[in-house]
Amino acid sequence: MLVSLDTATSLIQEGKTLHIAADDSLLAKLPAGKWIGGTTPYFIAESGGILTKDKLFINEIDFAEETRVAVYGKYNIFQIVEECYDNGLTMLILPFGSAVAAKYAKGAPDVEELLMHPTVGWVSGLDLNTGGEAKVYDGTTGKSYTDKAVIMYIKLPKNKTAMINIVNIFGDDKTDPTIAFPENALDVSQCRVNGQEVNFAEYIQKKHIDTQMPLVADYNGVYINTSIKAVENGRVGLYAPVFKGIEYRFATHVANYAEEFKNKIGAAGAGTPVFSCNCILNYLYGHLEGKKTPPYVGPVTFGEVAYQLLNQTLVYCEII
Amino acid sequence: MTPILQAKFEEILKGNLKYVSSNLALNMLISRLQRKAIADPRNMAAYIRELDEFVTRYAAVMGEEFDKIAAL
Repeated sequence: MLVSLDTATSLIQEGKTLHIAADDSLLAKLPAGKWIGGTTPYFIAESGGILTKDKLFINEIDFAEETRVAVYGKYNIFQIVEECYDNGLTMLILPFGSAVAAKYAKGAPDVEELLMHPTVGWVSGLDLNTGGEAKVYDGTTGKSYTDKAVIMYIKLPKNKTAMINIVNIFGDDKTDPTIAFPENALDVSQCRVNGQEVNFAEYIQKKHIDTQMPLVADYNGVYINTSIKAVENGRVGLYAPVFKGIEYRFATHVANYAEEFKNKIGAAGAGTPVFSCNCILNYLYGHLEGKKTPPYVGPVTFGEVAYQLLNQTLVYCEII
Repeated sequence: MTPILQAKFEEILKGNLKYVSSNLALNMLISRLQRKAIADPRNMAAYIRELDEFVTRYAAVMGEEFDKIAAL
């Protein structure tokens, strides 16, 4: 829920364990305590999508037996699979544009143990109108970072399990051309379209592809998106990596973004998520400002983590 | 894992059977193991063990999914 700085401060001083998303100007004023945070001024609140620098979004972690907070850089980020609780939830926040975010994005799908440990999180961001720096906060020390990830390890009671899921409005048409890439990359030039090598940027331009539609890959019936950041100088920048060995297609056109979201959310049928986040591209392209997505409320993010980094996706976690 | 489930999972990894779980992590795991199975089919036993480890760990939340897989 969105709260004032005074309320967030009081909750921390009461000893509550919190996940907090807010503008940097607010996070910097919080006292030390049992919390982690990341920067974003965009939220989906109970009252709908909103850009605010006057409120903080908090999730109280009141379902934990115990918690630990850690900070990792690009060289040790995957220690999360060794240091997490055996029955737990790992919640992580990565700063947008950082080396640790890039390392996580490229490496996570190859970390064999990762899928054994529920891992959810997001990429912190900034106000796209005014700029700034994406940061994460380790609330136990009050320190902020632009180049490190902050992690909260959450231990769950023995009879509870964390279930992570996604709401994705995109799908593909299996008759559309397949696109394959020669390596794991966040920035690409060459690809194979139906087996024929082409320049990816030229292909997008020649086919007049709407780059608000992501690339989608079918992971056993679950569509995972990769969003297009920029097409320039013969190269295509991406918000999440494409992976060698994965077959992609451009998502089929979504006529009414907000309506499609409403339909998919209804179909997902989640009860009471303890955490959710939604992508800034969904917020912008879907004109979600002022629109509600119950029961999903949370930060609007510059990348979503459901085990691996995702794009243009709503991620949520339930404790069952 | 029962022999029936093991046989079904092997067919899923070979692409002969299709099963989409309600568990995101299981779908991601099946997808990864299917790619491995295509690249190196000789290690099928190891892929099955990895799936076994997953479904054993999450047996409590797999619930009726075991029955659905067995019925494929």
